[in-house]
Amino acid sequence: MKLFFKTIKYDYLQRTRSYAFLITLCASLAIAYTFVPEPNANYSTIRIADFVGDYNAAWFGYVTAIMTSVFLSLIGFYLVNSGIKVDIDTKVGQIVFSTAVTNFKYLFSKVLSNFFVLLTIVGIVFLMSIVLFFLYNNGTSFNLFQFIKPYTLITIPSLFFVSVIAVVFEVCFGRYSIIQNVLFFFLFSIMMVFVPKTEAQYALDVFGNKIVIHEMEEMVRLVSGTNEKQDLAIGYVLGNTTKASKFNFNGIDFPLIFILSRLLWMCFGICIIALISYFFHRFDVKEHLSTKLKSRVNKSSIDKDISLSQLTKLKTNYSIFPILKTEILLLIRKEKKWLWLINVIGMVLLTLVPFKMAHQIGLPILWFLQVSRLSNLVTKETFNNTHYFVFASYKPLQRVLFSQILAGIMLMLFLSAPLIIRCIIEINYVALSAVVLGAVFIVLLASALGILSNGKKLFEVLFFMITYANINGIKFVDYFGGFQTEYTYILKLLILVCTLVSLVFFMRRNQLKNMT
Amino acid sequence: MDLLRPLIKSFQKFKIMQLEIQNISKKYSRNKYGLKDFSMTIDKGILGLLGPNGAGKSTLLKMIATVSKPTDGVILLNKNNIVKDANYMRKKLGFLPQDFGVYPNLNAFEFLEYMAAMKGVGGKDSKLRITQLLEGLNLIDAAKKPIGSYSGGMKQRVGIAQALLNDPKLIIFDEPTVGLDPEERVRFRNLISDLANECIIILSSHIVSDIDTIADRVAVMKSGTLITEGVQEDIIKSVSEKVFETVIDKAHFSSFKNEQIVVSTTRENGRLKVRYISKTPIGNSVQKLANLEDAYLYLTKTN
Repeated sequence: MKLFFKTIKYDYLQRTRSYAFLITLCASLAIAYTFVPEPNANYSTIRIADFVGDYNAAWFGYVTAIMTSVFLSLIGFYLVNSGIKVDIDTKVGQIVFSTAVTNFKYLFSKVLSNFFVLLTIVGIVFLMSIVLFFLYNNGTSFNLFQFIKPYTLITIPSLFFVSVIAVVFEVCFGRYSIIQNVLFFFLFSIMMVFVPKTEAQYALDVFGNKIVIHEMEEMVRLVSGTNEKQDLAIGYVLGNTTKASKFNFNGIDFPLIFILSRLLWMCFGICIIALISYFFHRFDVKEHLSTKLKSRVNKSSIDKDISLSQLTKLKTNYSIFPILKTEILLLIRKEKKWLWLINVIGMVLLTLVPFKMAHQIGLPILWFLQVSRLSNLVTKETFNNTHYFVFASYKPLQRVLFSQILAGIMLMLFLSAPLIIRCIIEINYVALSAVVLGAVFIVLLASALGILSNGKKLFEVLFFMITYANINGIKFVDYFGGFQTEYTYILKLLILVCTLVSLVFFMRRNQLKNMT
Repeated sequence: MDLLRPLIKSFQKFKIMQLEIQNISKKYSRNKYGLKDFSMTIDKGILGLLGPNGAGKSTLLKMIATVSKPTDGVILLNKNNIVKDANYMRKKLGFLPQDFGVYPNLNAFEFLEYMAAMKGVGGKDSKLRITQLLEGLNLIDAAKKPIGSYSGGMKQRVGIAQALLNDPKLIIFDEPTVGLDPEERVRFRNLISDLANECIIILSSHIVSDIDTIADRVAVMKSGTLITEGVQEDIIKSVSEKVFETVIDKAHFSSFKNEQIVVSTTRENGRLKVRYISKTPIGNSVQKLANLEDAYLYLTKTN
């Protein structure tokens, strides 16, 4: 048992001792700061019709717990869904499985390690929620229990289940990260729209926030004296600056069945892990494949001696086209061939569905499907250990980085070609410009975040959030003109693109300078 | 004469091939140096760079290859400061890092074409040169298979091929024989000795046998500094008449090892035959002819 905990401890340390995790923690802190808006802020996070709760301990505790449960479940999956992949890449998994460790122990240790990583972020958010209380409270007394209770019953079980899902998906879908990402996206969306009808059904809400929202709605109905269903807004809603009325929220008494359900969700997660542990490959799959391939390629028998000084001399050729060609090839081959079928279906849908739907929903989803390609664009040197070749190449900034970005843009434009053609046919130049600039923007964002964090996760998480927000119609994060039709918006996007270009080249130049 | 000086200088730039490393240091933290005040001049031929792990060999080579910048000092290639003008070096460089990777989804041919493009060479003959290199490195059969399916030795040979792609004038091989079988090691040595008359080749290793058969000159490093540099014969002279062989009981080996510099041991009739370096040999020892490995061990243990 001691060894089991040590495994978890060192796996946790390995994950958290990274620059990317530090950035994630800082970002969590910044996001948590916005969970309960400052009294005069022009946005809301949880609002029921025209009502928000009094700024007392219960409101701060419950609102931040719900927001953490929703947002960290959403992005947390992407933060922790590569625990097994790392062990495959580093070949640590093979060493681990040459010991007597059981599949269940290994997988469960991954779940707990995932869970502790997420818990660290929850800890930061929890502290921030207390800070927020002392910053904005309306003179009511501090009650720590009003913070601990919702976090314990809502947030923690949700995150445990997300930790389980991350491991289950890694076991079931192996290295198909794109399937994992997309499937979780849909699973999350389904869970979000699920509306329990009875008290017992609240037990089925894995995020555990529906029961609190329901209680809040009931209180608002009581205060406003109406029986109508209240308009609930959860998430960042901008511009609803009309003065909200207040209602007194003092937390809720969770029914016993709900409390038990939270425990049962965790037990259910452990049972799933026990079940899938029978199917776990013990790091044997990849070896098996490569042995098959190796047996084919090892049979090289030509033994022809050459004299290097007699070899054909090459001419100087500074054209970037050969680099661009290979960059495109690398982008195309990044995922399995059959996954291109999904892209083709996406492109067909962009051609056939109504223009607005294609632009507002089809395009961001189709682009999001390229998340692993984009996050790999400027980080593949690091992950494939080819950075010495790339960084020692002739003019790595002007030739290699430029080709990488160009290849990424070309891919995104190719995928959105049906929509671009429709824009041209409809003489909709604003939409056309926005789509083109959107493609450039997202590629540059991937490059900037890749260079900044020297990893893929930061962009993947952010891209997921941006896509999710866009599908939910939040104009603020519209980067492809789905919801904005003004020329000023195009100008703003252009300025943003120019800023990102400078930033990407500046950061890469620094990266080249500071290589150890 | 003064008027002719720039002309002579520019003429020299084309004629000579010389790498000057002048007082370079790489500082990691306040008291931690990867390399400290290192100076050396390297001319055409093969320089063998020897040193134990952590000696600073890779740090030095990365700085010459322009992927890392020195904290202090300058590196001049044909009088051009490559710390400031890295692209001057990059056009002439062939670099095989110690720990490199490949793109597993590309085949060897595609990968080498990509590398050629990055080095700024190409043209219609590029396919021919790549094919010739793949043949010379025994990879032609597997050239169209994804590199992800290659063995470690095959990947190493792809790395060697990319270093030789652009007809380099300065070639850096950092531990090039890692993963190669004995036959491939011999093949590699034959391959590069052909280039020694035309360019500077720096061959780093901690395996002396990789160096002693082909290096014209040898440099020994330890703890980020240069211990010695010169032709092999001169370096070996530092241990001449100090290398001995004796047979001892296994039980005495531990104490013997603490007193002498042991080069190698072999079992002989239940006892140990020990080759060692000493100024004060023990009784029944026989003096042996010193070699580069003896000199290397002596220099790194006593400095």
